[in-house]
Amino acid sequence: MDADALPSATSVRLRQAGRFMLRLLEHRSFLIGSVLFFAIVACAGLADVLASDDPNRNDYAAILAGPSAEHRFGADAFGRDILSRVLYGARASLRIGVFVVLGTGVAGVFIGTVAAYVPALDGLFMRTMDGLMAFPGVLLAIALSSALGPSEFNVILALTVAFMPRTARIVRASVLVVKELPFVESAVAIGAGHARIILRYILANSLSPLIVQLTFVFAVTVLAEAILSYIGVGPPPPAPSLGNIIAEGRNYIREAPWIAFFPGVVIAATVLGLNLMGDGLRDVIDPRLRKLREAG
Amino acid sequence: MRICQRSVLFRRIALAVALGAATALASPASAQKAGGDVVFAQSSNPPSLDGMVTSSQASRNITMNMYETLFGFDENIRPMPILAESVEISPDGLTYRIPLRKGVKFHNGKEMTAKDVKASLERYRKHGATAGLLNPVTSIDITGDYEVTFRFAKPTPTFIEAFASPRAPAVIIPEEETGKDPGKINFIGTGPYKFVEYVPDSHVKLAKFADYAQDNRYKGPDGFGGKKTAYFDTITFRVMPETGARTAALEAGEIQINEQIPIPTARRLKGDPKFAIYENKTWGFLTFIINLKQAPGDNPKFREAVQVALKMEPIVGIATEGLFSLNHGWQYPGTTYDAGDIGKQWYNLGDAARAKALLAEAGYKGEPFSILTDSNIPEHNKSAVVIAEQLKAAGINAVINQVDWPTALKIRLQDTGWNGWTLVMGIEPYLGPVGVVATLVGNTAHFRQPDPQLDALYEELISGKTVEARQETFRKIQARLYELRGIIKIGDVGIAQAARSNVKGFTPFRFPRLYNVWFE
Repeated sequence: MDADALPSATSVRLRQAGRFMLRLLEHRSFLIGSVLFFAIVACAGLADVLASDDPNRNDYAAILAGPSAEHRFGADAFGRDILSRVLYGARASLRIGVFVVLGTGVAGVFIGTVAAYVPALDGLFMRTMDGLMAFPGVLLAIALSSALGPSEFNVILALTVAFMPRTARIVRASVLVVKELPFVESAVAIGAGHARIILRYILANSLSPLIVQLTFVFAVTVLAEAILSYIGVGPPPPAPSLGNIIAEGRNYIREAPWIAFFPGVVIAATVLGLNLMGDGLRDVIDPRLRKLREAG
Repeated sequence: MRICQRSVLFRRIALAVALGAATALASPASAQKAGGDVVFAQSSNPPSLDGMVTSSQASRNITMNMYETLFGFDENIRPMPILAESVEISPDGLTYRIPLRKGVKFHNGKEMTAKDVKASLERYRKHGATAGLLNPVTSIDITGDYEVTFRFAKPTPTFIEAFASPRAPAVIIPEEETGKDPGKINFIGTGPYKFVEYVPDSHVKLAKFADYAQDNRYKGPDGFGGKKTAYFDTITFRVMPETGARTAALEAGEIQINEQIPIPTARRLKGDPKFAIYENKTWGFLTFIINLKQAPGDNPKFREAVQVALKMEPIVGIATEGLFSLNHGWQYPGTTYDAGDIGKQWYNLGDAARAKALLAEAGYKGEPFSILTDSNIPEHNKSAVVIAEQLKAAGINAVINQVDWPTALKIRLQDTGWNGWTLVMGIEPYLGPVGVVATLVGNTAHFRQPDPQLDALYEELISGKTVEARQETFRKIQARLYELRGIIKIGDVGIAQAARSNVKGFTPFRFPRLYNVWFE
């Protein structure tokens, strides 16, 4: 018997998804977080329309100019428009965030699932992950980016390697629990193949903690990218990123505070938005917390 | 002084002494107060405190307060005797007899004699960072307890000028230290301050040398020499890489003198009576060097396009935050070897249309043009950014390769892997024409491919018998540099230094002279 063949199952799933979305939207901090985050995503996406200038155009006459009608957020030490640089810099930071989330997601799910599902590989995979986790994440990313050289791709690679072990660990823990549940036994009993059991039964039921984890990975990536750029191992100049705009502004913090201020606000808002979203997701996904909330 | 009447150098040095005595930095006699510990902040660790083995500014800042040389430059960049009494040059120009000052004490209490001088200079030949300066000297002989004699194979009229160079100073140390490897010596000199301790990444401490033998031929300090008086009990050179941290420390009073502050900060502090700001507009030359061995920079038409595309004012203006002078010349304007308007028609053009036409003529197909720069020196990386934007506007596919300073120094010594390189020549222009051109000739030429014409002109320059002859040669050199375009002059770079206003007597110079300076 194939469970998919039952039309009622699809409708049940749809109804469940609808209820889930509704609960999410009722969750105040998720709502605030997503409004904040998606507003920044929209601004970064529309950088070509919103930016008043080419983010890399130098203007000697405008160096360290304060906020004005021409330069809404002021200008930096090259006379470049901070608003434009912040918009394109946010785009770069978010792009890096998306790729790191994808990278840690795919690699973490693969390693975590294989480790939990194939006991023979568990020791090898997880001790390797433990080894990587022994280094503080950001420090590992700094070491990797300095070794690989400054480029956006290397930043993505370094942060993926740094954040993947924790994700793999969470997925493994979740898979270990789910694979012992009766519906997996049933799937084995009806003769389902390994691929089908993993994808359809185990992963589909162990992804909730992963989704929450990935919102945090996104937030930490935005911060870590800023740290890497700040110390000069991020994307190379003149490409703007939120971190390198702040790094360029740090020598003028007294004379031209706007250079570091605006990208700082954007980083703070992005990370706050993502964290609020992550909190909301966790509350809604975790049945125990949900019951507590409903009771309260 | 016993000096050969026919020597041009004698006249210059004698003049230097006479002028020095008259115009030395005389300080008001009453105000000086002894005592205290002055903290001078600088951005990097000294690579070595063995004065002769390094040409690093971070070292020179410290070592020139500890050691002294036979000859040095005076305030107006003319050679002057420091530990030497004088120099007597034979009529054929092949023998230089150099009597030494008597009664000069080393920090270990021993008196300096001709033995120490010969041993130090022989060590300089082996370990000196610019050991080539002594190449024309065939032998250094001890011709008295307080006298050495240099012998030459052929007359070298520019020898004393070159030998007086502070780049990697030929300092005099006790004979017993001279057999040791670079960096392994006890740091003993004859200067007004003596070495106490060096804690890497933190500080270097010096203390007043009570038995310092002052040079009473002068009224006060003059250039690298003159009559030096140590007022502070101790000096602390604190290593602070972060510009912002140095500024904050100065404002908080934790340091008293700051090696370099950003120009916008200098402008902000200028009105504040707690601080004294010192601006020096002739600190260095900002240059853009092209690798002549790698395409597309190997094509003269391409280089012409680069020269034509560049608008110097925004480049040097942004790189220096506004403290600069536009100068096409390869010497500071108004100095002895200033070559006038030669090459000016090529300077500060910023003509993208003409550059595009030249690129088409050069057959340029959009190959990447990699600009090497470093993250440590703001003038380097800022100018690289502006140059890249201007070259892109002219249709050159410019990309920036920003690495750290030691890596940049390594990459630029390769024939491949870079096309352009931004560099501030700090001390070279100060040393005069020989200093600048020496970096552009032979196998170590900055632009990798030696230019036979330039090499020949360099030989002509260092063997030129009179100033007039050398001036004529330098005009030809400037013309050749504008034909070759292996190095493009961007502009003259200034720096700002700052001190707390209770520091008195401080006069900015190529290194921080912390003698004849005191706390009010």
